[in-house]
Amino acid sequence: MAKLSCAGRLKLLLFLATTGLVALLVTAPNGGGTAGSSALDKAMERELARQARAAFVRELYAPVTELRDAGRPQQALLKLEELARAYPGDPFGLVLRAEILRELGRLDQAIGHYAQALRLNGEFLDEQGPFSRRTEIRLLVEEGLATLLPRFQSHPDNRSLAATVKEVYYLQSRLAGGCE
Amino acid sequence: MTRRFLLLLLLSVFFLPGCDRLGERPKMKIAYMNCNNERETYQRFAPISSYLSEKTGVEFETVVVDTHEFEERMKAGEFALVHTNSLLYIILKEAVGLKLLATEKRGAFGTHTAGALIARKGSGIEKIEDIKGKRLIFGPMMAPSGYLAQYDLMLAAGIDPERDLAYYAIPAGAFKHEKLIYAVYFGDFDVAAAPVLDLEEMTREGKIEADDFTILAQSATFPYCTFGAAADLDPALFDKIKKALLDLGPEDTAELDGERLKVFKTSWAEGFEDLLDSDYDGLREMARRANMPPYQSY
Repeated sequence: MAKLSCAGRLKLLLFLATTGLVALLVTAPNGGGTAGSSALDKAMERELARQARAAFVRELYAPVTELRDAGRPQQALLKLEELARAYPGDPFGLVLRAEILRELGRLDQAIGHYAQALRLNGEFLDEQGPFSRRTEIRLLVEEGLATLLPRFQSHPDNRSLAATVKEVYYLQSRLAGGCE
Repeated sequence: MTRRFLLLLLLSVFFLPGCDRLGERPKMKIAYMNCNNERETYQRFAPISSYLSEKTGVEFETVVVDTHEFEERMKAGEFALVHTNSLLYIILKEAVGLKLLATEKRGAFGTHTAGALIARKGSGIEKIEDIKGKRLIFGPMMAPSGYLAQYDLMLAAGIDPERDLAYYAIPAGAFKHEKLIYAVYFGDFDVAAAPVLDLEEMTREGKIEADDFTILAQSATFPYCTFGAAADLDPALFDKIKKALLDLGPEDTAELDGERLKVFKTSWAEGFEDLLDSDYDGLREMARRANMPPYQSY
């Protein structure tokens, strides 16, 4: 079988997801238009869309993941720059960027990018979700508090440290979840 | 009547120059490190000077300075502020007690940057040890991310750049960093000392692809370009300037030659941050290991 390019695989994936969605909608029991069946259709649509999106995101960022797995974080970062031309500000891209920057020793940048990604999309905190980064964020918060907080306390007038510590608290607050 | 007129004229002669002096703002110079060429550097940074003038009431003049002239001209007391690469900040701190004002943010590492050794993909050069006997192109000697970082990487790998390479060269003129990346891309050199920021920008602009090159080694990150102030600058003015730089945002504008320009857009900066002098210690260690100024010994 001929090897498909990344774009080719993406197109195939989207085609399969769309075909699957159409097939499900056509073959799904009609139920005479009751409220129950309509809700079921919607739930299935949502689930399919979620799965298609997850597959698309994985496929899109597969080259970045491969470079990271090969121990080439800087090139993974450059690949993200390339992808950002087509998908600027994508929260999944921001999370990957945060992880690579952390690997490369830029804790403040990693914190900033995680915070930015969470402001755009909270699903990274969903423990059961396909893109969960809950553990990573928790570890980042712990590291941030252990290393940045004492630094900030020794230099309380430093605005940059203050801003980064504030972002650590923001991440901590997002991990804690909502409250009335 | 004539006597009254003469008296008025006499008073005017005494008081008008005084009025002029009242309206005068103190004048100071900011030295900016010449990057590609004098004209481009001026157009890039003059809006920052203009912005600082508006915020502080001081009339700042923009002066473009060659990297190698900073120390002498700072010692002569010519400049109140300087905007240089981080190595020059360290050198000037040692030489004239330069005070850290703010660090520029640009690119993925924010206030920091790094240097990398790169080879063309498929060239057979896969790791740093492979560069022995090869042709290498460096950035300018005082460039921390285009020379010092890579020199230090080679030393750490047991490679003496002076003895173990076939030869090395430094390109002249403008856009040196881009030139050396292209020099490897087109096969004129085997290895280049590339600033990571340039790789990132060229990738973003579509000039190169992320996998055109193999990154053989990459340095730890260290601070990017830095604003410093003369040791004798009035502390109140120092605080005012620092606040103005840290407050500067993407929507802030300044006037240059009758035009209002967005300061970040023209200067390519993405912000200024309040780093500590100790954040520069990693770079200091690099300079010591590579026997570079301000720690050079013979």
